[in-house]
Amino acid sequence: MSNCGRVLCAAVVSVTLMLGGCKSSSSPTEGARKFTVIFSQCNNAEPYRAAQNDLMTRLWAQYPDVQFSILDAQQDDKKQIDQITTAIRQKPDLLIVAPNQRAPLTRVMGEAMRADIPVICLERDIVEPHYTTYIRCDNYAIGKMAGQFIVEHLKKKYGAPKGNIVQLQGLLGVEAEINRNNGAADVLKVYPDIKYVHTAVADWIQSKAKDRMIEALNANPQIDIVYAHNDPMAIGAYLAAREKSREKEMIFIGVDGLGGEQGGIKKVVDGVLAATFVYPLCVDKAVEIGNSILRNKDFKPQKEYVMTSTAVTPENAAELLKKTAN
Amino acid sequence: MGMTRQIESAGGRVLGALSRLQSIVGLILIVLLSIVLSPKATDGSIIFLHWGNLTDVLRQMSVVGVMALGMTFVILTGGIDLSVGSILALSTCVLATLLTQWQPGLDYGWHIAIAVGAAVGASTLVGLANGYLIFRLGVPPFIMTLAAMIGIRGLAKWLTRNATMDIGFGQDAAAVFARSIGDKTATILVFLSLAVIFWVVLTRTVLGRYVRAIGDNEQAARYSGLPIRRVKVWAYAMMGLLSGVAGVLYAAQTNQGDPNAGSGYELDVIAAVVIGGTSLSGGKGSITGTIVGTTIMGVLTNILGLNNIDSNVQMMTKAVIIILAVWVQKHRKAD
Repeated sequence: MSNCGRVLCAAVVSVTLMLGGCKSSSSPTEGARKFTVIFSQCNNAEPYRAAQNDLMTRLWAQYPDVQFSILDAQQDDKKQIDQITTAIRQKPDLLIVAPNQRAPLTRVMGEAMRADIPVICLERDIVEPHYTTYIRCDNYAIGKMAGQFIVEHLKKKYGAPKGNIVQLQGLLGVEAEINRNNGAADVLKVYPDIKYVHTAVADWIQSKAKDRMIEALNANPQIDIVYAHNDPMAIGAYLAAREKSREKEMIFIGVDGLGGEQGGIKKVVDGVLAATFVYPLCVDKAVEIGNSILRNKDFKPQKEYVMTSTAVTPENAAELLKKTAN
Repeated sequence: MGMTRQIESAGGRVLGALSRLQSIVGLILIVLLSIVLSPKATDGSIIFLHWGNLTDVLRQMSVVGVMALGMTFVILTGGIDLSVGSILALSTCVLATLLTQWQPGLDYGWHIAIAVGAAVGASTLVGLANGYLIFRLGVPPFIMTLAAMIGIRGLAKWLTRNATMDIGFGQDAAAVFARSIGDKTATILVFLSLAVIFWVVLTRTVLGRYVRAIGDNEQAARYSGLPIRRVKVWAYAMMGLLSGVAGVLYAAQTNQGDPNAGSGYELDVIAAVVIGGTSLSGGKGSITGTIVGTTIMGVLTNILGLNNIDSNVQMMTKAVIIILAVWVQKHRKAD
């Protein structure tokens, strides 16, 4: 094909692509769209965040006058900053941000506030309070609940508070990790016979947790508790123990408690996990507060909303699973 | 008969010029499309054309743009550098460490200058090592810089113990640095100044001519007595330096030193260079083309973002644009 022909071909393809891509998302139905809501998600690829996205989309879809879109920063700080900067240009009626990290997102969320755009900060915090409201969960309380569960279990097993714990951690430096760690540690430090025999970092990921657990199993002949700071890591540890036929020797505790076939609640029903703690998606609250902000000019939200967690144990797991199926 | 020939040769010259400017034609096309597809503000104006948005695009492409300048030289010599993202991360970590954990009691200007100098210096050293080892050991650039990509990333993570270092918002040297260099105008000025400097180097200096000659035909260049080793090492050293500068810009914009920064950036940088018309086999290319290529990617990201297109669709669109750009330029006649 001649070069001119190639240029023409390329031009036609590009135009078609862009027209198709852009028009399909930006054309509103006549008169129906009144509000624009943009959600800057730090990383679509994590199961917890995928669940947030699903629920967020479903809840906003209940309001036909809201045009809702999700931006995926793919765990890159600069990408999230750039995406929010471009979002600000569109002057949305509401901006919801799940910050990838604390410091990098602080300045741009301040710019959004200065542009008179209401900002909801979701689940992770930033360095300065550049948001209209911050919806969070109490990870320290979750850690404490886990610690108390561990003490009760060991008392029942041995008649006294003693035992060996393997701890699997997520990304260090994330607030959730620090508080889930400290909440449990503060409860357990008054019991000198309860020992952390092995602590390893598995970055929230199931396959890494399995590898770390194999190392823990090889190094420790007696393990009573595996406390993993999220469900995928707890499941990875279970798989490692089962490979070595030691899964009955210990119990596995996680955090997240997502519903559905793949979630932690089902794993408690199935007996894989002894307990998990529901880490709220914070999405219901975000949509509730967001709606009030959109429709009620005089509405002044609290600066912070704290969502409570629930312990999921074999006693209440089946019921909770049914509830989350709705 | 004479006139026909004159018209033919004039037409041939126009077509020749047009074919060299293919990337600019592509840019014009994408800009026109962006104007058409841009959402409108409440006052009816085209958001894409707002001065604030256009300068946003420039700022957002600065980090990749600065690195693409260096990559142009490396690819022109017939090489490639996959380690640029890791060098960027190292630069942000060295910078943040010196800004936040070193208290020299110096005037802020000096403190910042030394920290920036150290970050860029360390990055240049890595580039020098890349270039020297490629030449000395005869390891293909792809393999050498792949190893550097992995090793330097590991070094950055080891130095910071996997943690990020926040550059604060207070009144210390670190905060002053972030406010001044992270400013939109400063970032754009750094990018444009470097673009001018490296354009001059490539088009107006002997070094620039040597770079092209070596990439075009290394054997012939060797027989002509060109200083192959010096030129190649220089190209990789400059790549390191520019990755270091990109790291400084990145740290200022994100208020953080991050050992995980820049992952995958080498692909965006190479894409920008290739779309701009530089051939991966070496010898053909220009700084102007690179800047056009970088701008095409920047405008594309912007217009897709303004229309809130799903990120996955954005990635697929970019992939198609890259393939189209290279296909269109495939049989461009050598100058």
